[in-house]
Amino acid sequence: MPTIDVDLGELEKLLGVVYRGDVEKLDADLAFVKGEVKLYNRQEGIASIEIKDTNRPDLWSVEGLARVLRGYLGIAKGLKEYVVGESVVDVSVDSRLRTIRPFMGCAVVKNVALSDTVIRGLMHLQDKLDQTYGRNRQKTSIGLYDYSLIVPPLSYKVVKPEAVRFVPLGFSESLSLAEILEQHPKGIEYGSIVKSHEVYPIIMDSHNKVLSFPPIINSNDLGRVTAETRDVLVEVTGTVHETVLNTLKLVALALADRGGRVFAATVRYESDGLKVVTPDFRSRLVELNVDYTNKILGLRLSAKRIAELLLTAGFGVESVSVESVGVLVPCYRVDVMHPVDLVEDVAVAYGYNNIAPVWRELPTTGCVKPEQRLLDVARELLVGLGFQEVLTYNLTNPETLFDRMNCEKTRVVEVANPKVVTMTCLRNWLLPSLMEFLSSNQSVEFPQRIFELGKVTLLDESKETKTRDEDWLAAVTSHSAAGFTEIKSALDTFFMNFGVNWQIRETVHPSFIEGRVGAVMVNGVEVGVVGEVYPGVLEAWKLENPVAAFEINLEKIIKNKQGKLG
Amino acid sequence: MVELRAHEQKILSALEKFGGTATVEELIAECGFPDAAVMRAALTLKEKDLVKIYAEQQTQLRLTSEGEHHAKNGLPERRLIKAIAALGGAANLNQAAEKAGLEPQFKQIALGWAIRKKWAIYDSATNTVRIADPRLHQVVIPEENDEALLTFLSARQQTTLGDLTPELQSAVETLKKRKLLTVEPKTKRKLEITHAGLHAATRRATAAEITQLTPELIITGKWRNGKLQKYNIQAPVAKTWPGKKHPYLSFLEEVRMKLVQLGFKEMTGTNVETAFFNFDALYTPQDHPAREPSDIYYVKSPVYGDISKYKTAVEHVKETHENGWKTGSTGWHSTYSIREAERLILRGHGTCLSARTLLSKDLELPSRYFSIARVYRPEVIDKTHLSEFNQVEGIVVDEHLTLRDLLGVLEKFAREIAGADKVRFKPDYFPFTEPSVELSAYKEGYGWVEFGGSGIFRPEVTLPLGVQVPVIAWGLGVDRLFMMRAGIDDIRCIFSQDLDWLRRKQVA
Repeated sequence: MPTIDVDLGELEKLLGVVYRGDVEKLDADLAFVKGEVKLYNRQEGIASIEIKDTNRPDLWSVEGLARVLRGYLGIAKGLKEYVVGESVVDVSVDSRLRTIRPFMGCAVVKNVALSDTVIRGLMHLQDKLDQTYGRNRQKTSIGLYDYSLIVPPLSYKVVKPEAVRFVPLGFSESLSLAEILEQHPKGIEYGSIVKSHEVYPIIMDSHNKVLSFPPIINSNDLGRVTAETRDVLVEVTGTVHETVLNTLKLVALALADRGGRVFAATVRYESDGLKVVTPDFRSRLVELNVDYTNKILGLRLSAKRIAELLLTAGFGVESVSVESVGVLVPCYRVDVMHPVDLVEDVAVAYGYNNIAPVWRELPTTGCVKPEQRLLDVARELLVGLGFQEVLTYNLTNPETLFDRMNCEKTRVVEVANPKVVTMTCLRNWLLPSLMEFLSSNQSVEFPQRIFELGKVTLLDESKETKTRDEDWLAAVTSHSAAGFTEIKSALDTFFMNFGVNWQIRETVHPSFIEGRVGAVMVNGVEVGVVGEVYPGVLEAWKLENPVAAFEINLEKIIKNKQGKLG
Repeated sequence: MVELRAHEQKILSALEKFGGTATVEELIAECGFPDAAVMRAALTLKEKDLVKIYAEQQTQLRLTSEGEHHAKNGLPERRLIKAIAALGGAANLNQAAEKAGLEPQFKQIALGWAIRKKWAIYDSATNTVRIADPRLHQVVIPEENDEALLTFLSARQQTTLGDLTPELQSAVETLKKRKLLTVEPKTKRKLEITHAGLHAATRRATAAEITQLTPELIITGKWRNGKLQKYNIQAPVAKTWPGKKHPYLSFLEEVRMKLVQLGFKEMTGTNVETAFFNFDALYTPQDHPAREPSDIYYVKSPVYGDISKYKTAVEHVKETHENGWKTGSTGWHSTYSIREAERLILRGHGTCLSARTLLSKDLELPSRYFSIARVYRPEVIDKTHLSEFNQVEGIVVDEHLTLRDLLGVLEKFAREIAGADKVRFKPDYFPFTEPSVELSAYKEGYGWVEFGGSGIFRPEVTLPLGVQVPVIAWGLGVDRLFMMRAGIDDIRCIFSQDLDWLRRKQVA
């Protein structure tokens, strides 16, 4: 979810509403656009606003927020018209970019009233669009320039990494593109996007002055916009044409909201000769069916009422008939993919809290998962035997699972991107979690008897997910006289009450003392282990009292039991 | 006539034997009762005016473990100086320390004190230590007060300041600063027998007192011959720790039962899931930020699962992502990779179970489903974040469902599960639902709490999975509800490793 920093003074100026730092009022208004104030810096008047909708990049600037809020706040309803003047710049796109970064969009915005605050806001928008909508500049990246320093036409082409040098933003000497990737912070951060190619993208003007090395960095000479800049050139490059055009629109509109006049650019693709005039601010016409709307909302709204609500939400209405509304979707509403997106906006404008909830009686029968009853019985029994139930994480690490348990490593489900070293894989047995638990409670009164009924995850090539989860049950007892007899007795009582005949078979297990450990057998199948924990394991966990434990595959036991009954 | 219990009787006799007065320690040694038992008896005797108790404030000295060590081996500076003397009166510090057999942690201490006591002179340039008085390597440096005190203390169990000679007392501060001994105030109690006490002590007990009633006493009927001793029923007793269910799991059980009562059927799934069910089938584009390694755990090996069983659905989902397929949507206009859909992940939400249920041939109509699923996110664990937690989610499937029904489901949950007095709805966002609603519940004493998120599945979700009717999807913020009820503000408490907390946690 993007969080944007909004200068409240600027929002007030654009909206004509005064908040006077009333965050609750702001929060209430932001609910219309799924926004929430996360933080308000009263001194600087900056509100950090979280926009839940990741598909509404038009809301990621103060200009965009004001554009949409004005409808909901009753300041100005309907579609806000934006016009694009004639094309003033030609851009040619090299066909060799096709496999690198094929698309380009460009616009010139003249007579913009910029201030340091406005520029800060613009940079913030550019950053959010690059990061989120542009997927860390992979999909799209934006460049802003002082248009007065540029001599069109522009060429978007490729060059060898060492062929061109220019002064990148924030530097004082010129570097080659290869050097930029090595030395410039942005080159280091985003270099991987272009590094695999033999040639790199570059944008130059007709005097061969470099505008930028997309998606890495602008030129220090041309690519710096200040409060004195009047005419701004915006360019967006990227890998998905639609996203490039949308991004360009969002930036150009923010500048237009600052009093600028937008002029087009003509982008010519050398590969196929295709000419695209950018940006395109035209609305799209979507027919919204009245029945369809009411069927989703459970309301009985007339076409006229729906049209009114859509105007509140900032849409245009071209036509209203009994069955449908011709909706003009503004060019910046890139989230509208389906008529259902309009239906939600109708509901938001209507007010969720004005819709009466209804509990529909449906002939459904509730039930828990089939094994749930016996799982609960198992827990009851362990509680009755005096064991405290604990809950631990499924995520753990090989040291816990194997090393400290004196076991050989086996394959477990490891994650490729662990966040912390203690959580790198899913557990394949429960006992280590219980040992860890005991280890954290050495100062707590003994005897300590605990159990956990939890999932273990095992690799299983035959399954869709190449793994299977099973419900296992483990219990430990620890005190100065804890031993095999006590735990075997508990297990025996458990099985007797659970209605399962079991046998114990001699076995060896590296976590347990030889001669004090047994395999738990049910119907000739091994389903677990019971024994006295090996002192070396106690040492590894820094435990000073003996521990006796059992761990059983409850899932197998329950299946076995249910099979026998059926 | 004054009645005496066995313990009291014994203490009076002991006092008599000691000549009328004795310290508590002496009585413990004589009677063989624990400290508390002697004190209990003494207090009762005092109430009966049989003894007097005098308290005297004393300062008790005790060696620390390091102090004990030095008492046994000699102070480190003494050991160092001896070694230097043996090496001819001057030596390299390291050599001297080695010769002295000094533990590494005491080397600098030894040097420091040897200099401070003016026993030695140190030249840092050459790392040489030399005995200060050139003759001294022949003469034995006399034992000083601190060393004498160490020896004195180590020879005795308990020592109070009063037991020391003025010379030894002067060394207490030094050793205390060196953390070789601890000084604790202690009250020393003395008992003195009164006349009445003397009288009672000499009187013969007429009948034996019975403390523990034994099977033997019952069977033989001997209990009739004795007197059953009265206990001090106010005396504190040891805690009994029972087995209990985990409070959070009990809470989930309660939620589970409520959902069943409301007609919901439980769904289950696995910790490891394919990206297809976790994301793609839920119309989350393949380049969505929620799929970044910073937001979802990927399985290292094997990397891919098997979704070949769902060939048709996968094709439809692919087309929907790319161009909207028959859903009436524009789609994401992005290229869709089936290989990417096969990626194995640790499920990031329980909604993947709903997607599986919708695709299942067993899907009933109408129906209500729920799941309680452990889910995983690559978060650093803190007060408000867990890397794995439980989600309670579900769906309602019926031909005639509307947004009003969705609000009705949420209101029902708020009242039945959270016990809320009022509810409030706000627009929300999920990639897979439209419209989407956030539920806030109000409960007296708790205020407004966000309690759930929900929506109607987008047609881009239901149609490719072969479902033609509206589906309400909902999720509940049960962790927050539990925390509120349990009065905890740290989410880590849910997976608490604190046995004491679990033992003391009230269940009612």
